Amino acid sequence: MLAAILAAGLAVGAVYALIGVTYNIMFSASRVMSFTSGQMGMLGGVLGTLCISRLGLPIIPGFVLAMVGCAAIGVVTEVIAVRPVLKALDQHLYVLSTLGFALMIQTFTAIEFSTEPQPFPRLIGIGEGNPWDEKFWLPVVACFATIGGLELLYRRTLVGRAFLAIAEDNFAARALGLPERNLRMASFALAGAVGGLAGFAGGELLLAFFANGATLNFFGFVPVALGGLGNNKGAVIGGLALGVFQQAANFLMGGVVASVAVFAVFIVVLLVAPQGLFGAPAARRV
Amino acid sequence: MSISRRTLFGSTAAVLAIPAIARHGLAAEPIRIGWLATFTGPLAAPTIGFDRGVQYATALINGAGGVNGRMIEIVSRDTQGDPTKAVNATQDVISRQKVHAIFGPANSGELLATTPIMARAKMPSLVPGVVNSLIDPVKFPNAFRVTPSNQQWDGAVRRYCKDILKVKKVAITADATGYGTSAHDDSMASFKADGFDIVYDGVIDPAQPDVTPDLLRARNAGAEVLVSWTVSSGMAARMMNARGALNWDVPIAGHPALGTGEIGKLVNKPTYWENVFQVGYRNCSYGPDGKLPKANADFVAAVKGKFPLSDTSLWWVCSGVDAINLIAEAVAKTGSSDSAKIIGHWNTLNMWPGLYGHYSFSPTQHNGFLDSDVVMSKANSQRDGAFDLAPGYA
Repeated sequence: MLAAILAAGLAVGAVYALIGVTYNIMFSASRVMSFTSGQMGMLGGVLGTLCISRLGLPIIPGFVLAMVGCAAIGVVTEVIAVRPVLKALDQHLYVLSTLGFALMIQTFTAIEFSTEPQPFPRLIGIGEGNPWDEKFWLPVVACFATIGGLELLYRRTLVGRAFLAIAEDNFAARALGLPERNLRMASFALAGAVGGLAGFAGGELLLAFFANGATLNFFGFVPVALGGLGNNKGAVIGGLALGVFQQAANFLMGGVVASVAVFAVFIVVLLVAPQGLFGAPAARRV
Repeated sequence: MSISRRTLFGSTAAVLAIPAIARHGLAAEPIRIGWLATFTGPLAAPTIGFDRGVQYATALINGAGGVNGRMIEIVSRDTQGDPTKAVNATQDVISRQKVHAIFGPANSGELLATTPIMARAKMPSLVPGVVNSLIDPVKFPNAFRVTPSNQQWDGAVRRYCKDILKVKKVAITADATGYGTSAHDDSMASFKADGFDIVYDGVIDPAQPDVTPDLLRARNAGAEVLVSWTVSSGMAARMMNARGALNWDVPIAGHPALGTGEIGKLVNKPTYWENVFQVGYRNCSYGPDGKLPKANADFVAAVKGKFPLSDTSLWWVCSGVDAINLIAEAVAKTGSSDSAKIIGHWNTLNMWPGLYGHYSFSPTQHNGFLDSDVVMSKANSQRDGAFDLAPGYA
């Protein structure tokens, strides 16, 4: 029983964590909280089903195509929902523009794909019906692989360092000749792919369903707040903790009450540590 | 001879008026039926079936010369499942289109918003919604339910659990939508009143990715049957998958959505869909001999090749046919499309034999569906839109 709860909790938590990382990547590149993050997760599942089940592609080309599709949506997000409002960040217009674009993605998916949940293909075929079922461990593996990959990218590659540079101070980065706009677009493509990976790896659990985006947007934001904005490792720990806590609360208290419990704990944590459990307090110029 | 300007205008107006007079004055006024339904959007599935029945019955009646020489004209509006749009559509068909009766809207949320508007206009309305509060002959004397109510669905599940499955310990689950929450509360009350031991109850977010914890709680509490009130095929399939993964062969009984074709795609193994029983209707169920009741078998044979039944439910189609026939018969018998006369006629119906079920109304009872017409069906047995009766029925 404990194994079943832990397996499901870690799996769901890993998906939330990856959506949190998606928020973080977009935020680092643009200082914008893009509410399309959850929709990237939804699209990962939908495009996976579309490519593998409907188009009949083998798993690896299907996966690659799904990731490319999500990355492209990430770029489109930057162009039409983020770039036009960058000059007025203090007015928080991005809330409206990214939410509006998220709604467009969701509605388009509902019309063109299906309004009913669709099955996601079985990817490997290991452990069906057991706590070691692939649907539980695939999201966890994807989550840790992503964090490892991002660390390598940011610490060991020139492009990664350039990402960090614009995240740190985009005016200075531009002054040094870095192509800020291109790097921002690349960041959004990366975020799209990471969000898509969340939906693809968690597809067997979440199914391919147009309404998953809103749920992922919501629960994916919690690890960001818990872990500290821009802190990927914090998002992973926050996401996994959220998933396990949520499943345990479902077992101990049941559905709707469990949701209340999750958010009660979330609010308490933010009251104690407003910058998140792993975030540094914001410095104030004096 | 000189023609004055006044004579010229008068003659021209008279000539131009001839087609209009022919259309409106000499031809019999059509019987206009407002048909409000969710033609598009996530809640459109039932409308596909309803509409086939509505159009089929209308074509049949009009093809035979109409009702007392009056053709039926369907005035349809797409409410998209949105109560606001449903309210606008209701006001439009009543005030501008001057319909004589309304069928729909086709889901309970919209009906809650539109029923009082129809009542104010004294508009004869046939209600295809299950929420109990939609029917009140004092507040809404114009509204007649042509489907079972929530209570009747619940009653069918209770009778099946008690008389056929012979279980005592029940787990009641529902999705966290407006419908699910109200069905959960009604079901809790009625099962308790009927002497069942409710060992677990849970209102579950339909987007919850894994319902194993909920099923573990139910199993640990000793549940002998899972009663499910959800319209979400995703949640229903997750429940069946979790039950299968736990190797727990407890029966699942509840909402008709347990039998939608989508679930067949979502269960991990076809066997996970066994031992699942959904609310169904005797007229639209295959008996132990594998046949539909005669009238419905004849109907299925008659529509074969005209429209498919495999992608919808037979009872939705039958309900659409019954709605048009109920209105047409009221006009035929009373000789008028006056709203008071239609309502008065419906109030006299006793065991009116529809395709969907038998309807009985009186001035104080507008829940027309017969309890015994609501039965349980095997969820995974759909063919041609109808299901096998669940084991245990004669």
